[in-house]
Amino acid sequence: MNYPFWDAPIGYGVLMGAIAVLHVFVSHFAIGGGLYLVVTEHRARRRNDELTLGFLEKLSKFFVLVTLVFGALSGVGIWFIIGLLNPTATEALIHNYVWGWATEWTFFVVEITSALIYYYGWKRMTAAAHLAVGWIYFIFAWLSLVIINGIITFMLTPGTWLATGNFWDGFFNPTYWPSLVMRTGICIMLAGLYALVVAARHEADEFKARTVRDTTTWGILGLLITVGAQYWYWKAIPAAITTKAVQLMPTPIHALRYSVWLAAAIGVLLVLGRVMARRLPVAVAGLLMVFGLAWFGAFESFRESIRKPYIITGYIYGNGVEVARTDRYKKDGYLAEIVYRTGNEGADLFMHACRSCHTLDGYKPLKSAFNGTDRAFIAAIVRGTHLLKGNMPPFLGTAVEADRIAEYLYQRIDHRPLDEICRQEGLDLGKTAYDLRCGKCHVVGGYKDASKSFAGLSPDDLSGLLDNSALLGEGMPEYTGNAAERAALVAYLQTLGTQVKK
Amino acid sequence: MNLPDYQFLSAPLWLLTTLHVLTLTLHFVAMNFLLGGVIIVLHAGVRKRWNDPTLLKFVRLFPAAMAATVTLGVAPLLFLQLVYPRQVYSAAIVSGWFWLNVITVVIIAYYALYRAALKGERTGKIGLPALVLALVGLLYVSIVYSSVFSMAEKPNLIHDLYAKDQSGRIFNPAAGDYILRWLHMVLGAVTVGGFFVGMLGRNEPSTYQTGKQYFVVGMVLASMAGMAYLLSLLPILAAFMKTPAIWALTVAILLSLGSLHFFFKKNFCASGMMLFVSMLGMVYTRHVVRVLKLAGQFEPSSLRVAPQWGPFVMFLTCFVVALGVVAYMLRLFFGASRSAT
Repeated sequence: MNYPFWDAPIGYGVLMGAIAVLHVFVSHFAIGGGLYLVVTEHRARRRNDELTLGFLEKLSKFFVLVTLVFGALSGVGIWFIIGLLNPTATEALIHNYVWGWATEWTFFVVEITSALIYYYGWKRMTAAAHLAVGWIYFIFAWLSLVIINGIITFMLTPGTWLATGNFWDGFFNPTYWPSLVMRTGICIMLAGLYALVVAARHEADEFKARTVRDTTTWGILGLLITVGAQYWYWKAIPAAITTKAVQLMPTPIHALRYSVWLAAAIGVLLVLGRVMARRLPVAVAGLLMVFGLAWFGAFESFRESIRKPYIITGYIYGNGVEVARTDRYKKDGYLAEIVYRTGNEGADLFMHACRSCHTLDGYKPLKSAFNGTDRAFIAAIVRGTHLLKGNMPPFLGTAVEADRIAEYLYQRIDHRPLDEICRQEGLDLGKTAYDLRCGKCHVVGGYKDASKSFAGLSPDDLSGLLDNSALLGEGMPEYTGNAAERAALVAYLQTLGTQVKK
Repeated sequence: MNLPDYQFLSAPLWLLTTLHVLTLTLHFVAMNFLLGGVIIVLHAGVRKRWNDPTLLKFVRLFPAAMAATVTLGVAPLLFLQLVYPRQVYSAAIVSGWFWLNVITVVIIAYYALYRAALKGERTGKIGLPALVLALVGLLYVSIVYSSVFSMAEKPNLIHDLYAKDQSGRIFNPAAGDYILRWLHMVLGAVTVGGFFVGMLGRNEPSTYQTGKQYFVVGMVLASMAGMAYLLSLLPILAAFMKTPAIWALTVAILLSLGSLHFFFKKNFCASGMMLFVSMLGMVYTRHVVRVLKLAGQFEPSSLRVAPQWGPFVMFLTCFVVALGVVAYMLRLFFGASRSAT
C-alpha cells in the first residue's frame, strides 16, 4: 500500500496474461530454436547439405526478427507491467533476487550478441566458428532460463525461504527442477513447431519431407518431456495448495485440463504432420502454432491462478497486502497504510483491497455480483472474503473499512429489486437469487454445498432459515431480499432439498 | 508474523550506485549512437546526401545498436528500481499508459530499423518512412523516460497528480523540470552520433567533415542546454556546488573539449575514451541531482544493507565470463570478415 493504484479499465489478469503468454511463447522458442539451429546446422555441414543450410539461414532470419525484437522487448514488457500491477511484489522480488536478474542480464548480453553474430555470420564465418557461436547462443539462452526459472517458481513455492530468507533456499525451491525440465521440454517442442512453419512453406519434395520429419521429431520429443515433467511439477507443488485448488478453485483446474487436451491435440497433429511430411500444408503448421500458444496460455493461467490467494505464496497476497503486516492491518486498518490517497476513502479501499482482481463492469465484475443487494450484504461479503469460493485473500481491514467499501460499491450498483433487474420469476428468479446471495460460498454440487441441509424442510422452515441466516455460521450475511425474491429463493432451496432426497 | 523483510539492499549502496552509473553510461553510448545516428542520417537525407556509403553503413548498424540499447538499458533500470522503487514505480503508475506503451513503441521502432536496414542492403537506398517512424518512436521513449524519472524525484507532485486521476493517463505537467534535460540528452546524442559518423567515415573526407560538423555543433548546443538545465536547478544549486559532482561535471566538460581536440587530430581512440569518461561524469552528476532533489523525503543511505555476497559473486563471475565470451565472438566475427576481405 506504499504505491498509487493504477485504475486501468482492463482487468489486471487480462493485461498480464496477454503480455506474459505472448512473451513466453517466443522466449521459449528463442532457447529451443537456438538448439535446433545449431544441431541441424551441425548435421547439415557433416552431410554437405546445402539445401538444409539455406533453410537454416532463412530460419535464422525469422528467428532473429521474432526473438530479438518481440521476444526481448516483451520480456522487458513483463517487467514494466508487473511494476504497474503489483509494485509491492515486484519490489520484494527485486530486493531478494536482484543478483539473479543481474546474472540473467549478463546471459542476455551474450545471447543477443551471439544471435546477431550467428545471423550475420552465415556467409562471413568459417563453419567451425559459426557453429561455435551457435552453441554459445544456445548455452547462454538456456542459462537465462536456469536463472529466471528460480524466480518464477519461487513465487509459487518459496519453500524454506519463508523461514530463512536465504537467496538460495528460495531459488532452489520445491518446483525448481520439475519446472526447469518442463520448460526445457517446451523449448524443444516449440523449436519443432516454429521450424515447421518455415518448412511447410517449402515446395513438396524430398527435402521438405526430410525436414518436416526432423522437425516433428523435435516437437514430439519436446512434448513428451513437457507432459512428463508437468506431472512431476504438479506432484512437487505442496499438497496444501493442490488440494485447495481441486476443492475450490475452478480456474487452475480447468486450465490444467485444457492444457492436457491441447497437449494431446498437438501430439496428434505432429504425428499427422510426420505421416504427410512431403505434403504438409501450411495450415497444419499454423494450427500447431495456435495450439502451442493456447497450451502455453492454459499452463500460464494454471500457474498464475493456482497461487491464489497469493502473488508470492505465504508472503504477499494477490492484492499486494503483505502477510507479515497482518496484525498491523487488523489493528489499524488499511487506510492507515495507504500512502497515496484519492480523497475518497471508499475508492482507496476498494482499489487496494479488491481492484487487483476485480473490475466494476469488465473482468470479474463486481457490479453484477451485487446488483439488487444492499450495503449490509456487501459489507458481510467483504468481511468474509476468505470464506468465499475461489480462494480469495482475506479482508484484513477494520469493520468500518468494510462498510466503506460496501458503500462505495452500493453507490455503483443497480438498486432495483432483483426480480426487476433480471425480469425473472419462480424458480429462475430463485436460482438467480441463490447465485447472488448464497452461491458466493455454497456451490450446488461443489464447494460447501448446503443442499443436504434443506432436505425435508417446509417453505416456512426455509423462510425461517433465511430470517436467521446471520446466525448460521461464520461470515453468513443477514438475508435482506424483498418478498418476491424471498419466495422464489425459498422455492429454489426446496427444490435443492428435494433433489438431494431423491 | 515472522517473515523475511524485503526492504533491504543486497549490496552496499556505493556498489549499487557504481553499477548503476556504469551501466547507464554504457546504455547512453548505444542509445546516442542510435538516436544521434538516426537524426543525422535523416538530416543528411533532407540535404540530399542519401547515397553516402557511410550513411548506408550506419543504417545497417541500427538494428544492432537498438539491440545494444535495449540490452544495456535493462541493468541500470534494475539497479535504479532496487534503490528507488517507491519513487520510480509510483511515477510510472501515474503515467501508466505512457510508460507501458514504451514497449509497444520500441517494438515498432525496432522493426522499422530492421526494415530500413534490410532495404538498404537490398537496394542500396535508405528507407525514409521507416527511419522517420523509428525516430518518432525513439523520441517518444526518451520524453516518457525523462518525464517519469523527473516525476519520481517529486513525491508531492505524484501525490497531487494521483489524487486528480488514477487512470494512468497523466503526462508529467511540470515540463520545466525535464524539458531542458531531455533536450540536452537529444543534442548529446547528436554529438555522439557525429563522433561515430566521423570515425566510421574517417577515410572519406566529406563524411568525416559531416561527422565533425555534427560533433561540434551538437556539443555546443548540448552544452548550452546543459547549462540552462543546471541553472534551472537553482533551489538545489548551492547544495550541488558542495558535492563531488561539481568536480565530476567540470572534468566531464574539460574531457568533452579534449575529445573534440583529438577528434580533429583523427585520434578516435583517445577522443572516444574522453567522450566516454565525460559521459560517465555527467551520468554521475545526474545521479547526485536525483539524490539532492529527494533529500528530506528519501535518503537511500537510510536503507538497511544485508549483502548477498554469494549471489553477487555469481553475478560478477558471469559478468566477466560474458565479457570474455562476447570478445571471443567478436574476434571470430571480425577476424573472419578481415580474412574474407
